[in-house]
Amino acid sequence: MTNVSLKDRAAVVGVGVTEQGRTPGASNLTLAVDAFVRALDDAGLHKDQIDGLLTEPGTTEFGWALDYLRLGEALGINPSFTHTVMQGGSTAASLVQTAAMAVATGQATYVACVFGDTPRTSRGPRTTDAAHGNAEDSWGVWGALGAITWSAMSASRHMALYGTTSEQLGEVAVSARLHASLNPEAVMREPITLDDHRESRAIVDPLRLLDCCLVTDGGACVIVTSSERARDLRSTPVSIAGMGQAYTTEKLGHPDWWYGPHQRTAVTRAYEMAGIEPGDVRVAQLYDNFTISTILWLEHAGFCGVGEGGPFVEGGRIRLGGRLPVNTHGGHLSAAHPEGWLTVIEGVRQVRGEGGDRQVADADICLVTGRGMLLNCASALVLTR
Amino acid sequence: MDDYRKPLPVVTELNRPFWDGARREVLQVQCCTECGHLRYPIAEVCPRCLSGGVEWVPLSGVGEVFACVTYHRAYAPEFSDDVPYTVAIVQLDEGPRMLSNVVGPGRLDARVGDRVRVVFDAVTAQTTVPRFRLAQD
Repeated sequence: MTNVSLKDRAAVVGVGVTEQGRTPGASNLTLAVDAFVRALDDAGLHKDQIDGLLTEPGTTEFGWALDYLRLGEALGINPSFTHTVMQGGSTAASLVQTAAMAVATGQATYVACVFGDTPRTSRGPRTTDAAHGNAEDSWGVWGALGAITWSAMSASRHMALYGTTSEQLGEVAVSARLHASLNPEAVMREPITLDDHRESRAIVDPLRLLDCCLVTDGGACVIVTSSERARDLRSTPVSIAGMGQAYTTEKLGHPDWWYGPHQRTAVTRAYEMAGIEPGDVRVAQLYDNFTISTILWLEHAGFCGVGEGGPFVEGGRIRLGGRLPVNTHGGHLSAAHPEGWLTVIEGVRQVRGEGGDRQVADADICLVTGRGMLLNCASALVLTR
Repeated sequence: MDDYRKPLPVVTELNRPFWDGARREVLQVQCCTECGHLRYPIAEVCPRCLSGGVEWVPLSGVGEVFACVTYHRAYAPEFSDDVPYTVAIVQLDEGPRMLSNVVGPGRLDARVGDRVRVVFDAVTAQTTVPRFRLAQD
């Protein structure tokens, strides 16, 4: 496929992160507004300069498709380009791509991508409904409840086919927590060991408690503009050098759904646009809703072969100081869980060199990935200086 | 039987033959009258050829464990007496994959590749749920 290349046409110029964790009294909307204000400040922009507004609705409220109207009204802005998308954990990196396309084609000048969610303090959608997933499938009938089901299935099959072990999953958890311990914004900062992982209770075997991401409240915002305009702003611009998306919409109907073949497609497209190879990536932020997800991404992103993700993480290879530091903020496993947004923002911060105690030296090329819904959606960004 | 509190299928005109078949202890899925593709999940049109033509055909009910997980946590109070219980994706011999449970002897030791056979669990007077047991042979 030939692309009208968007390589380096747009840049991230502002990021905003609210308090994460438990935010009683805050709503999805107030968190989104808070994140937006912080990102504006980071970029040095005034709200009336924002003429593109892309939102991901919080997971705890319905009326999702109208989120862009509600947030626009709250912010008192009247953009020329806007919509709301729900792709679960791949939404953030996906919206940044839409924003880049909008600024590159002149549909908007400054696009704010915004999210706020309160799954920790408000009661989320009931997952015990028999129709969870798909009314025709009635998966709740068989007790297949909760987002963990599908990643546990992935882990089950990956272990059976390739010999991946729980201890290798544990290394992913230990590594994420080590990074979170260096991140003042992270919710879980107490270091853990492989023993802690092994002794944590089974949730949906083969996944244990410490294989699971956090459930937290929080908001986040990313502002995108053209590369030309980016040079005049307050922050260090981070170029969007590559982007890609792909989807496996079929679930049981697709033999490789559990593995996520679309994730490889999304990353490959991003690499091709950026003109890079896996070996060029200095640091990676890979969507880790569960530990197995990190292992799958390492394979899909070409850092190792199919089935080799487990051995790859051994020996501290994905820890700070290792060959490929992954999820340097602590990821969804230990930092916080605004669905993929902090993954993008950590990528921006690493490329800017603002990682503080967790900064990777020469982090000039960062891969960011998102995955979402029932293993259906994938998005990838290559961020560079 | 009437105190069954776990989720029941949302029966629609589309999926009614599946659940009616289960009550008769027949595992049946849709077969495209245009291209012959056996499909599951249940869908309005064939995802291969987009034809709406369909006939329901019985399957052998035999297959193998494609992936399986064991719930140690009850995500709804209705399942708290069931944990630990096993949910599996079953690869049926005729081609489709189905979400279900592995029940009966050895269920907690079920492994990917194990042979399984359908059993029918009449959970209420109106509803029978297909589940799978490890094959004895």
